[in-house]
Amino acid sequence: MKTSKQNVLAIPLIIWFGLLVGVPLVYVVVLSFLSRDNLGNIILQFTLENYEKILDPIYLRVFVNSFLLAVLTGLLTLLIGYPVAYITAKLAPKQKNMVIGLIMLPFWISSLLRVYGWIILLGNTGLINNVLLALNLVDKPLPLMYKFSTTLIGTVYMLIPFMIIAVYNSVDKLDQSLLEASYDLGASKWKTFFNIVLPLTIPGIAGGFTLVFIPALGLYFISDLLGGGQTIFLGNLINTLVNRGRNRPLAAAFSVGMILLVVLIISVYSRIAKDKGEGLFR
Amino acid sequence: MKRKTNRFGIFYLSFFFVLLYLPILSVVLYSFNAGSSTAKWTGLTLDWYRQLFNDRVIGEAFTISIQVAVLTAFLSALLGTAAATISLTVTRKMKKVIQGLMLLPLLVPEVALGVSLLLFFNGLKLPFGHLTLVLSHSLFCVPYVYIMVLLRLQEIDASIIESARDLGATKWQAFQTIILPLIMPAIVTSSLLAIALSLDDVVISTYMSGPASTTLPVHIFSMMRVGVTPKVNALCTLILVGTFFIIGLNQLIGKSSKTGGYLIEKK
Repeated sequence: MKTSKQNVLAIPLIIWFGLLVGVPLVYVVVLSFLSRDNLGNIILQFTLENYEKILDPIYLRVFVNSFLLAVLTGLLTLLIGYPVAYITAKLAPKQKNMVIGLIMLPFWISSLLRVYGWIILLGNTGLINNVLLALNLVDKPLPLMYKFSTTLIGTVYMLIPFMIIAVYNSVDKLDQSLLEASYDLGASKWKTFFNIVLPLTIPGIAGGFTLVFIPALGLYFISDLLGGGQTIFLGNLINTLVNRGRNRPLAAAFSVGMILLVVLIISVYSRIAKDKGEGLFR
Repeated sequence: MKRKTNRFGIFYLSFFFVLLYLPILSVVLYSFNAGSSTAKWTGLTLDWYRQLFNDRVIGEAFTISIQVAVLTAFLSALLGTAAATISLTVTRKMKKVIQGLMLLPLLVPEVALGVSLLLFFNGLKLPFGHLTLVLSHSLFCVPYVYIMVLLRLQEIDASIIESARDLGATKWQAFQTIILPLIMPAIVTSSLLAIALSLDDVVISTYMSGPASTTLPVHIFSMMRVGVTPKVNALCTLILVGTFFIIGLNQLIGKSSKTGGYLIEKK
């Protein structure tokens, strides 16, 4: 029988992680309610000013940009990744392992390198424009860089393995007899997919969406390198406020806003997962 | 099975993999281009690599990154293994608390985590440098060690430990002589993973670097912001080779212990 006496060993661990994770997060929340003087120093005075600023249309726009980017990244990774996961799950075991390995491999490759690769491909003197020019399909380079869509390409590319693995786990667990029963009863392939496969893999989809959504909110170096600061996202704004603006309370308020977005998506996810009796973060 | 869908499936997969690896391959390819722009291929050269080895700033950043990565791996291995072992002896409620606290850094977007740590360490007047880098990197590495070691621990037959205890071994002796060797492969592979994660981190390192402790990714990021130069390509290619070395090492350990291969198969 495990008693609370044995919990003593856990106390140093709790203190360590509490200090390094819990306390900084609480500190940020506190800071977001504090003011600063003209030099950017923080003064101990309660204010709601930082949160009022967030609601300013200019800043609110940044929230909308980030939210849009994260949602679109989720949808696109799903659209492109679902077939990949589905096809992979149907492969023979040996091929399956190889394909999964190939999907996971980019994770271990420097994320900066992978973003940089897209600059090499999409730049004005990049590979894609070189090919298009050489084939005389265009007479001047297409402007592919520094757009919202360029950032989107970057986040989709970086995060798609998360989506594929989450969906794959779901498809792989699917009870084959259900599909056979559906075919036997005369349902077409598409009908079986939409009525049986898709609903049963919703936990995987929701899990993948969560795993993609969270980092998409904050990977500011992607929008920095590919988006060129044309569209401002939360990550870039927080970064600028901390480094150049020296407005730390406002940066803290934006961080709190960002964390709230994450809490929102996780609570949606856990509701879906609970309904289906599964969980990613069990 | 229907053939037709299979063929379409293979086509789709191939297309996907071309897109997945094209950016990576083009970085490698252009690191050997003699010209300094990607506009034209002007012949093979190793000049960019030579320039790299003569660059002192990059050399220093590399040294710092390696130091930080190794220290992070040690600290994460220690904390993650301790957490996994302890979480099996405590009550269920306590286990949930430990797990929740440890997984939290993975759920908070990196920017928010980085900023919160920056503000917190700043408030504590901690000097930014190796210490802050290692502490912050261990936060996102420990959960992986914890999960991998825990999975391995759960596979261990409890009766082995019971018989050791019956034969008079103390708890610590049982851990040292029986459990530790069994979970060692998991500790080693997850430490390699920690090294890879630490070496790759940009976002948190940006906030945690001190004036004299810029890590390699932070330096590369600032180089990339300026623009495309084959030198960056060469540097990225070298890092890629290093990454493959770590993965190869991991696969080797995985093969010899039959429980590894985590880097590719599980995350």
